[in-house]
Amino acid sequence: MKKISIYILIIGLIGVCIGYKMYNKPHINVAEKPVDIALTATILLADFSSNETSANAKYLDKIIAVKGMVTTIEFDGEKAAISLQTKDDFGSVVCYLTKEEFKKSTEIKEGQEVVLKGICTGFLMDVILVKCIIMNSK
Amino acid sequence: MKILYTFFVCLFLVSFTNAQERFLTKKGMISFFSETPIENIEAQNNQVLSIVDASSGKMAIAILMKSFMFKKALMQEHFNENYVESDKFPKATFKGDIMDFDNITTSEITLAIKGNLTMHGKTKEITIEAVTKKTDEVIEMTGNFFINLSDFDVKIPSVVKNNISEKIKVSFRLYHKTYKK
Repeated sequence: MKKISIYILIIGLIGVCIGYKMYNKPHINVAEKPVDIALTATILLADFSSNETSANAKYLDKIIAVKGMVTTIEFDGEKAAISLQTKDDFGSVVCYLTKEEFKKSTEIKEGQEVVLKGICTGFLMDVILVKCIIMNSK
Repeated sequence: MKILYTFFVCLFLVSFTNAQERFLTKKGMISFFSETPIENIEAQNNQVLSIVDASSGKMAIAILMKSFMFKKALMQEHFNENYVESDKFPKATFKGDIMDFDNITTSEITLAIKGNLTMHGKTKEITIEAVTKKTDEVIEMTGNFFINLSDFDVKIPSVVKNNISEKIKVSFRLYHKTYKK
């Protein structure tokens, strides 16, 4: 009888530990995740503006590496947003950097070609990527 | 339909490249807060698109549900997968009229905005109060309001009923600038 209650207690404790771990599950670390799709800013925007529904299915929540020329870098406190040029006049691809990556954003200049890796959340006027990191900047 | 929509969006955009009365932000902030004795849940979206037409006093806001960032990854996962079903309904929109827009000045005043909020496939008419001020280049709006989850058909499983408030406080800070390409 005593043995059984000890077993139950142990199982219960393991359960609590797993539950607690799941509750505190860390956010996706973009830097460590492999790239799902690599493409240029122009293609990414063109896919969204031609058929948003299919583009949503294809790109949302995916780790995307996007290549393009920097048109603007905007700062707001500890946040930085990099817009990439596309062949479209109105839209662009806007990448919001992570806090850790923010320090590196000073190395980037307008007109420079960069590859940024982040998570695609969708399309408003621009395609939006969040939690971005800078992969390479020549 | 899609083409027509794109056409109108383009037309809309073209029309305000030369009109000074359009004010826009792509980096507005909307956050929400659920308070219960068990836990508080908070998420922030910093990629809010909002447009104000100063000639008519109309405004339009669009947000991506997946852009809401939570402290806990698990909460964010549940929010997107179970509650707002962001794969099915990726956006929330608000279209409304700013009441007494002519009263807007360079000092802060509170104005009411009446319009339709669409989220999770449901639309509801709401009236929001916003502290606003306007200069030649900027229209600033801040405020908060409450929404009921049941109005938008968001179902909370009974297991976590005590963890999530039925009334959600939504706060916003929109810093519109005159639009120039």
